[in-house]
Amino acid sequence: MAYSDKVIDHYDHPRNVGSLDKSDPNVGTGMVGAPECGDVMKLQVKVNPETGVIEDAKFKTFGCGSAIASSSLATEWLRGKTVDEALAIKNTDIVNELSLPPVKIHCSVLAEDAIKAAINDYRAKVAKTTPVAAVTA
Amino acid sequence: MNYYEALGLQTKLTLDADDLKKRYYERSRQWHPDKFSRANADEQQKALDTTALLNDAYRTLRDPVARAEYVLEERKIHPAKTPPPELLEEVFELNMALEELREGDQSVRPQLENTKHKFAHMLDEIDHGIAVMSSLYDRSHDESLLHAIRSVLDRRRYVSNLMRDVNKELNVDLSN
Repeated sequence: MAYSDKVIDHYDHPRNVGSLDKSDPNVGTGMVGAPECGDVMKLQVKVNPETGVIEDAKFKTFGCGSAIASSSLATEWLRGKTVDEALAIKNTDIVNELSLPPVKIHCSVLAEDAIKAAINDYRAKVAKTTPVAAVTA
Repeated sequence: MNYYEALGLQTKLTLDADDLKKRYYERSRQWHPDKFSRANADEQQKALDTTALLNDAYRTLRDPVARAEYVLEERKIHPAKTPPPELLEEVFELNMALEELREGDQSVRPQLENTKHKFAHMLDEIDHGIAVMSSLYDRSHDESLLHAIRSVLDRRRYVSNLMRDVNKELNVDLSN
């Protein structure tokens, strides 16, 4: 199986590798994994609480090229999006952009799960610090 | 026909290695394609198919881990879609540590060796746990044990990947 040029590009030059301060109330952390292939992916977003816009996104993935490319691409897309827009990102968008073959679709699913997990973590933090939101959540 | 049926066995997570080998050899002799060289096309095909099935069955069932994976697969108990957070944290940290060593020079070799021993020890413990739960399951047929084995196997997959990575690193170093 050959990787597409875009996958190779993200694999060789991954964007936004790193981590954000997990304890920052504006940072949401998503950690997901796929036991079948042994991948583990951490994706973090830093949200501007005033505007709801994602100002920064970082990832660190241990796994195959497609998993790394999927999460790298995801962080690129996340920057500048609102939290709601971010939740609208579908794994199929990643599949199309990277031309992932069918056997690697689960890597894009992992990236989508990581986005959702990070945003849910951020929202849970907000709910905890905002009593009103906590009641309605 | 599943692997257990092919070898005339009941589905059990613990198997006697000698008995398994004996069954495999007996049946392989019985179905050896050479014996069917004068049989009709259908029978020849059946001998080929049966031999292939016996090979797969023996290869899978003689290994306790592959056997457990197989039984769980048959029971449709799949790897967790969302592994527990503490497992992911653990695997992530182990990977980070390994990556740090990887970027080091020859001086980290002893640490890599240590890491390898640590992973080997983890795998031993995991395999021991699987063996214990397997024999418990064969006696009790308690479903919850199968799910417990599933999560241990999920963890094992991660640790064995890490082991593969550390071995790769040690071998690369050797060739330099």
